Amino acid sequence: MRRTALIIVALASVMLFASGCGGKVPTIGISQYGEHASLDNCRKGFLQGLTDAGLVEDKDYKVDYQNAGFDNAVATQIAQNFSSKGVALMCAIATPSATACFAAAEDKDIPVVFTAITDPVKAKLDKGNVTGTSDKLPVEAQLDLIRRLQPDADTIGIIYTLSEPNSVSSIAEYQAKAAAFGFAIEAIGVTQQSEVSLATDAMIAKGVDCLSNLTDNNVVCVLPSVLEKTREAGIPVYGSEVEQVKIGCVAAAGIDYFELGRQTGAIAARILKKEAKASEIPYETISEYGIYINSAALAEFAMEIPPDMSDKAIEAGN
Amino acid sequence: MSVFFDLAIGTLTQGLIYALLSYGVYITYKILDFPDLTVDGSFPLGAAVTAVLLTHGFDPYLTLPVALAIGATAGLITGLIHVKLGVRDLLAGIVTMTALFSINLQIAGSNLIVERAVDTIFTARPTMAVIGALPLIYRKLIISLVMAVVFKLLLDSYLKTKNGLLLRAVGDNSLLVTTLAEDKGRLKIIGLVISNALAALAGAVVCHEQRSFSSTMGTGQVVFGLATVIIGITLFKKLGFVKGTTAVMIGSILYKASIQVAISLGLPANLLKFVTAALFLMILVVGSRQKGGLKDA
Repeated sequence: MRRTALIIVALASVMLFASGCGGKVPTIGISQYGEHASLDNCRKGFLQGLTDAGLVEDKDYKVDYQNAGFDNAVATQIAQNFSSKGVALMCAIATPSATACFAAAEDKDIPVVFTAITDPVKAKLDKGNVTGTSDKLPVEAQLDLIRRLQPDADTIGIIYTLSEPNSVSSIAEYQAKAAAFGFAIEAIGVTQQSEVSLATDAMIAKGVDCLSNLTDNNVVCVLPSVLEKTREAGIPVYGSEVEQVKIGCVAAAGIDYFELGRQTGAIAARILKKEAKASEIPYETISEYGIYINSAALAEFAMEIPPDMSDKAIEAGN
Repeated sequence: MSVFFDLAIGTLTQGLIYALLSYGVYITYKILDFPDLTVDGSFPLGAAVTAVLLTHGFDPYLTLPVALAIGATAGLITGLIHVKLGVRDLLAGIVTMTALFSINLQIAGSNLIVERAVDTIFTARPTMAVIGALPLIYRKLIISLVMAVVFKLLLDSYLKTKNGLLLRAVGDNSLLVTTLAEDKGRLKIIGLVISNALAALAGAVVCHEQRSFSSTMGTGQVVFGLATVIIGITLFKKLGFVKGTTAVMIGSILYKASIQVAISLGLPANLLKFVTAALFLMILVVGSRQKGGLKDA
């Protein structure tokens, strides 16, 4: 019994100690759902956005960065931690973290600024002391890009995770818009990362003309292995953002998460400077998308960027 | 200081809510000696049903019995698969858990958010009438405490009934149950029903608290439950007067406290799980010393 009490006292005193370490400088709590390149870029861009707005770290703000490791229960506790400490602002990267932050902020009405959420309206993050940026994909631009690179293609395969709302809403948009570009969509939903490989095999067996990626966390995490298989099968894969093109997708009409983060940082700076409240700022969708290409990957499939697109295209490969 | 109190209250609340799930795992793992993986599916099942009911304007309190009932059904299915179809215990749970992933998505459509305008058990009229003067985090603490204690007492008193004693015998000495001319299979099913009803209830309360259902929220809940049962039982092994249910409730609180400590330490974010693991190890080592020390003396 004594030892149990000891454990409880020890855990409590660490929490007490840690909770005392707050200064007068306002803290920004960054809750990132998990670790992968796009989300990391969001965070880096966010910090850059604050710097661009003239805010200096340690003088104007402090950062408390936490990563939930793709675990919703941990995301809940991170949000609670921020709320207890009374951070000046929560920056939530990806939907589960944003939901958790918004729930934890309810009591104290701490502003929440989110990023990397496809559909803030569906996530009910469009009302209240909350704002941010949406990473809604430029689906039409992507379809146009594929049509121009592969004039004879009929079917686009898309692998997505059933439990990721961002992916589910993107799939719906693809299916609604594909016909206008003369495509049929072959979508395979998976429930976990290990099934992505099986889905890739199925796509190859179905004989799709190309694959197009969403910003699906599960699929993006194992993209290199998908690319290995599709390269052997001679199927080009299109990305949805710059990081995917870097690792071997042929091209993408997509967003740059660093830029998205920067836009988010600019919003956060306005709130920190008390120029506006989060509830007064509508969420923003990135207005500019880029055409990213990987020349080496394009060459493997003997594909070329049409001349009128080439000056807009940004080389993302090495 | 107030920061510490807020943190402690938040952590206690999480521990108490998830204690409901720990009770469930305690019944199957510790009492029945049945490694039941259904929980990874029945926990989000409770949340899915709750999210749908709440968004359709259902009374928040009524979602709780509904979650209990539907979780019980999930347990019943695992039980029937195991007892009637003769599928091994682990696999029976895996079958139900796997099916539930699709069923949960089917129920909720996709991940579902309950917006702030919708009342939850923490903001509903009966709650506000009694403890409405308190801030939300205190209301959350009080309601989760009441639920954790009520279900603990219910479970304790059930385990003292004849049926409850037989249930305990199934795990300890199943031969005895057979010699008493009792149906072992029926008892296992009862245990699974209670266990998964509690897991779904935990999911329902989490849905109220987080205002969301996500289809992946069940991943790792069995591991969580096992850890809390083992932490609780290890710490209180020597103390006969501490009930198993109390022990796992404290185990659940300590588990959530370890994560909160790891977050509060402010180490690099990627070390979070490592620090959590180190804290568990510390708790288990310190806890088991207690017993070893006495024996050696």
